[in-house]
Amino acid sequence: MNQVLAALDASWRILLVGILLGSGLPVLFALGVRALAWGSGGDAEEHLASEVNKPSLTGRLIAYTIFTVVVLMVLCGIGYIAAHGMGIRITFDGIVPVFSQK
Amino acid sequence: MTSVFILMVIVVLTALAFDFTNGFHDTANAMATSIATKALTPKAAVTLCAVLNLVGAFLSVEVALTVTTAVIRIQTSTGGVRPELVTDGGFNILLILLSGLAGAIIWNILTWLWGLPSSSSHALFGALVGATIAGLGFEQVKWLGEGEHLDGVIGKVVLPALASPFIALVVSAIGTKVVFMITRGVTGRYRDTGFRWGQIGTASLLSLSHGTNDAQKTMGMVTLALIAAGQWHDLESIPLWVKVACAVAIAAGTYIGGWRIIRTMGHGLVTVSSPQGMAAEAASAAVILASSQLGFALSTTHVATGSILGTGIGVGAKVRWSVARKMVFAWLTTLPAAGAVGAVMYFIGHLIGGEAGSFTVFALICLSAGGMYWQSRRNKISHANVNEEWSEA
Repeated sequence: MNQVLAALDASWRILLVGILLGSGLPVLFALGVRALAWGSGGDAEEHLASEVNKPSLTGRLIAYTIFTVVVLMVLCGIGYIAAHGMGIRITFDGIVPVFSQK
Repeated sequence: MTSVFILMVIVVLTALAFDFTNGFHDTANAMATSIATKALTPKAAVTLCAVLNLVGAFLSVEVALTVTTAVIRIQTSTGGVRPELVTDGGFNILLILLSGLAGAIIWNILTWLWGLPSSSSHALFGALVGATIAGLGFEQVKWLGEGEHLDGVIGKVVLPALASPFIALVVSAIGTKVVFMITRGVTGRYRDTGFRWGQIGTASLLSLSHGTNDAQKTMGMVTLALIAAGQWHDLESIPLWVKVACAVAIAAGTYIGGWRIIRTMGHGLVTVSSPQGMAAEAASAAVILASSQLGFALSTTHVATGSILGTGIGVGAKVRWSVARKMVFAWLTTLPAAGAVGAVMYFIGHLIGGEAGSFTVFALICLSAGGMYWQSRRNKISHANVNEEWSEA
């Protein structure tokens, strides 16, 4: 029974982090794609034949900022995998990660 | 050469063969959706995945000696073999390892033949449990962990397998739903092109983490065989050649690509678009990394499948539940089926005894692998036809 409780305890934490990062990353990326479509103009967005979609600099700037954050998140993921492999423990007791040798 | 030494060599070869099957069985977990949405060509996908698996295998310098301690009691807590079990020079322990690997390989190839993604680590654990029951008795299996510490067959295998597909499914469904809400109004073609880039990033993350986790298991098994045979004594490190051989074996397996499984995961469950592919892969990556942080031993296969189902549910797409049911059936049977093969292999090896026994077990692995490969030629699936329309058959 203790094992089941321990598994449930781990599960909801994983679910929480999963939703935050695992759903968050593609959602952020989607915002980037949305902004880039706005920034690109032309046929990137659905529009009526009579309308003209002009490219927007603001759209592009927002898009590139978002994509930079996405790339940084992926790099953090790679860094995390590498650090774990090297035997470094990373804890997130506050939000700020703490590194320590195992 | 003593019979223990010969058996040790056979165990090492078999372990590398298992690593190879582990590679091609799991290519799909990272790459199936990228191949299905044509974010990457099939060949480019397996190449990228293989390279990252190779890098991943070298990245991890942690000593994975205690691989069997999750489910059986043949090792001490530091990673050595319990001394009372090697009074025969280690022959019996090596035979158990060989039988365990045999069960895992045979189950991996059989499920590949059926095109079903099943967990390689569950196959290995199941077969080791079977071989241990046959060789040392029921009580040498660790069924339950102590207290709150998740361990044993229940805590390390069964419970995570029950929970992880659902967690991944929920995460991926939420991600997919919101992604489609946000990108409403963006032309389909524009959206898909953008998300293909995202997919390559998330798929790479998955491949790398696979290399760091799975290659280690075989490294642990090989080194354990060396220790049991008295050929290696250092519990703090593993031989370099073991690391290189295991990394190359898993990367080669990944490169060969388990096309049958890739096809099932990419096309069999749901027809995925690239935003769905990225949402599924990001969900898998987040769930896997969060679990490894918490020491929750889940299977990449279960997570990837849950994510793909979730992404179908997220957009209300048609899910082929008949295929999903077959997969769940394969998951439920992996542990007992691989266990049964492991036990039978041990009995055969033990009854014949000595070198002849270990050669027989090895020959049986080769024969069944060859037979199943021959069977697979009847409806060959390769990089050329992996993306063909799915037909209900």
